[in-house]
Amino acid sequence: MLKIMRVLPVLLVLTLAAAACGGSDDSAPATGTLEGKTVTVYSGRGEDLIAAVFEAFETATGATVDVRYGGSDEMALLIDTEGDRSPADVFISQSPGAVGFLDQNDRLTTMSDDVLQRVPDTYRADDGTWVGLTGRVRVLVYNTDLVSVDELPGSVLDLTDPAYAGKVGVAPSNGSFQDFVTAMRADLGDDATLEWLEGLAANDSPNYAKNSAIVDAVSRGEVAMGLVNHYYLAEALEEDPDLPAANHVFPDGDLGSLLIVSAAGVVDSTDDREAAEALIAFLLSDDAQRMSADAEYEYALVPGIDPPAGLEPLEDLAAVQVDLDVLADGLTGTLALIEQSGIVE
Amino acid sequence: MTATVETRALRRRRLRPPRVLVVAALVIGMVFAGPLAYVVIQNVREGADLADIVWSEDTAGPLVRSLLLASVVSLTSALIGTVLAWTVVRTDIRGRSLWKVVAPLPLVFPSFVGATALISGFATGGLLEQLVEPLGVGSLPELSGFRGAWFVLTLFTYPYVYLPVAARLRHLPAAPEESARLLGRRPLQVFTSVVLPQSLTAISAGALLVFLYTISDFGAVQLLRYDTLTRAIFANQLANRATSFGLALLLGIVAIVVVAGERALIRRDPPTSGRNRSRALQIPLGPLRGPVTVAVGAFFLVALVGPAASLLHWLIRGLSSERSRGATAVDVDGLWSAVVNTVWVSIAAAVVTVAVVLPVAYLNARYRSRTGTAANALVVSGFALPGVVIGLAFVFWVLSTDLFVSFYQTLPLLVLAYVIHFGAQATGASGVAVGAIPPHLDDAARTLGAGRLRRFTTIELPIMAPGLGAAGGLVLLSVMKELPATLFLAPIGFDTLATRIWSAMETVSYAQAGLDSLVLLAVSGLLTWLLVIRAAEHLD
Repeated sequence: MLKIMRVLPVLLVLTLAAAACGGSDDSAPATGTLEGKTVTVYSGRGEDLIAAVFEAFETATGATVDVRYGGSDEMALLIDTEGDRSPADVFISQSPGAVGFLDQNDRLTTMSDDVLQRVPDTYRADDGTWVGLTGRVRVLVYNTDLVSVDELPGSVLDLTDPAYAGKVGVAPSNGSFQDFVTAMRADLGDDATLEWLEGLAANDSPNYAKNSAIVDAVSRGEVAMGLVNHYYLAEALEEDPDLPAANHVFPDGDLGSLLIVSAAGVVDSTDDREAAEALIAFLLSDDAQRMSADAEYEYALVPGIDPPAGLEPLEDLAAVQVDLDVLADGLTGTLALIEQSGIVE
Repeated sequence: MTATVETRALRRRRLRPPRVLVVAALVIGMVFAGPLAYVVIQNVREGADLADIVWSEDTAGPLVRSLLLASVVSLTSALIGTVLAWTVVRTDIRGRSLWKVVAPLPLVFPSFVGATALISGFATGGLLEQLVEPLGVGSLPELSGFRGAWFVLTLFTYPYVYLPVAARLRHLPAAPEESARLLGRRPLQVFTSVVLPQSLTAISAGALLVFLYTISDFGAVQLLRYDTLTRAIFANQLANRATSFGLALLLGIVAIVVVAGERALIRRDPPTSGRNRSRALQIPLGPLRGPVTVAVGAFFLVALVGPAASLLHWLIRGLSSERSRGATAVDVDGLWSAVVNTVWVSIAAAVVTVAVVLPVAYLNARYRSRTGTAANALVVSGFALPGVVIGLAFVFWVLSTDLFVSFYQTLPLLVLAYVIHFGAQATGASGVAVGAIPPHLDDAARTLGAGRLRRFTTIELPIMAPGLGAAGGLVLLSVMKELPATLFLAPIGFDTLATRIWSAMETVSYAQAGLDSLVLLAVSGLLTWLLVIRAAEHLD
């Protein structure tokens, strides 16, 4: 069904398919085992980012992949509302929050260890209902005309300093910002987190709708800096290489450089668990993971794969290891704190 | 003869509406009640304490802001829509045929892309500021918060007023205006003393749509950083479902109250008397002709050319940039099929919507009927709920039994979802259309022995055509940009222009979003011209 394949050159896909067929990667299913089967995916990840991998899976296995694209939260709501009659076999989410929501509502089923153990256990659910696919780092994007390098903060906690008043754009309604706040709660406790949020509020940190809106605003010079995920700038630079903006990764394993994962799980009402798991296993194959790093500017979570061009290795970034289960389960408390802090304008 | 007409008119007032009409309205009302019923069920299921939610501090602020923004946007849209309609339809402004086509178009911008385009055009550091910078103009006022949301939403919603009012003006008898002019009234006086009172129903029906659109909008208010009720609904949709559904119910209740208020306050127009086969009266603007033309042109420069220029800028910038991902800046594969899908699904939805709400419009324009009032309120509530809620309600009802499972995520059901979401847009304008039928014409035809169907096709339909065209046009433009319900309910692989634009915006592919949005604008312009403007003129 996927007619549009635009992100990657055909060559790469063919190489990938050939690699999968050749069985160079033990997590990928053998050729033709899924002939005639259809896997229905509800994907919160964009078509641009992931369609090529689905197409490679179709070529490798003979299965058909039907994909419904939409926002992660909306797709999770859709699966939850559909109930037992859901056509979805696999759910792919941009963030841990949406898979956590389905897990809490018992709509995801446990996957086999073969799939789960492709990634380190910090990047998957303790109960085996979801597994991380790729990672992105929280960064501070800044306007290079307005901010000099020595003005950049050493820690995300410094942003409550009056020196940053009005200068830092945030997206409190956005999933990644909320994930970050949840991680902070796990690391520093609710009181310190609330204090930090209130500090941002006292600094009149301007609110934006989402990461891309912050990157746009920083590039225009409307606001000097903003808390976002790292890859939005790379995408924006593709559109306009002259943007006066750069990413600042908080150094020394600061909490600010938290890694947030995209994730996948098998929907409990699936009629073909085997095919569904095969697809997720394929997404975690070395080659598919390499595609993510190359094409999406995101970190592969399977060990041993190079970081995206121009980024430090994962190990050097996240000294603070936050259990992702915490991110998936902590949303309600986080929203309450955000609401209470008055950061929302 | 005069006596007969009078007794008939008297009798009509007391007459009970035909049973078939009441039953139809009842069925229609029940179908349209689906989304609101779903919200009520979810409230009960989640154990939402509505009173608690309504009176909480977290709700009060956003609720007040939603109501304030919606009221102010309705007022300005009503003003702009009415003045524009009168100027374009009734005066000898230059470039009339161009203005007629472009006037409804800003409605077609999905708010997430329209707001982004306006921000990148007019906000701090945006295109406009770069343009005027060499002229020594400092930074422009920031486009955000209340002011920004007001500005952007007014620009994108005034067509809700413009279309029905323009349709009404086409059918107003020229005589009173002619007399007023002969008595020496200036154009403005003619407008306020003759035109305005006769268009009040159309204006208030349009303003009501603006109000409902504004309180249910999420994309624009979110991007412009104005915290309204919808933000709270979305922020809580996963983590605090009780709050989210409680607030959605609140939105539905607000809508019903506002609809009831509008119906109580605004007296229906008297049916137009006298046949109006002559062309609509054209007021010569005289020395004002130049300045008025310039003013209208300047308005469209902001409302249409501004966002379109931003979109074009994204496209050109993206095309000229080096790309490292081995991808092209824009992809035209699939664009044509998205155009075809968008066109036919929106035409189908527009036609079905007008047909479905017509019985309700008849009932309400011709008779006093509780059923009619209730059906109307339910039809309108479908527009006040955010598209996500409408989509989920559909999923809930269709999959609640095995009966309709095979229709799930098929096109007929998608069209039905559009009908329910946008039915409100057709009721107002259809009501105006039904109201335009002079009763004595119908009576005369009846006396001459014409059957119901014949009277409908030969007398009523031609008279209603401009109004129904406006009703269908509103639905058409709304369906073309609809996103949340489409993402939930379209068959897999059924791309529309709106889903493509959304997809591109999500991955910051602004060049692609720019191209697809410009195509959407062009296609909607073409359809508006073909189906709304030309059709109405042809039948005139």
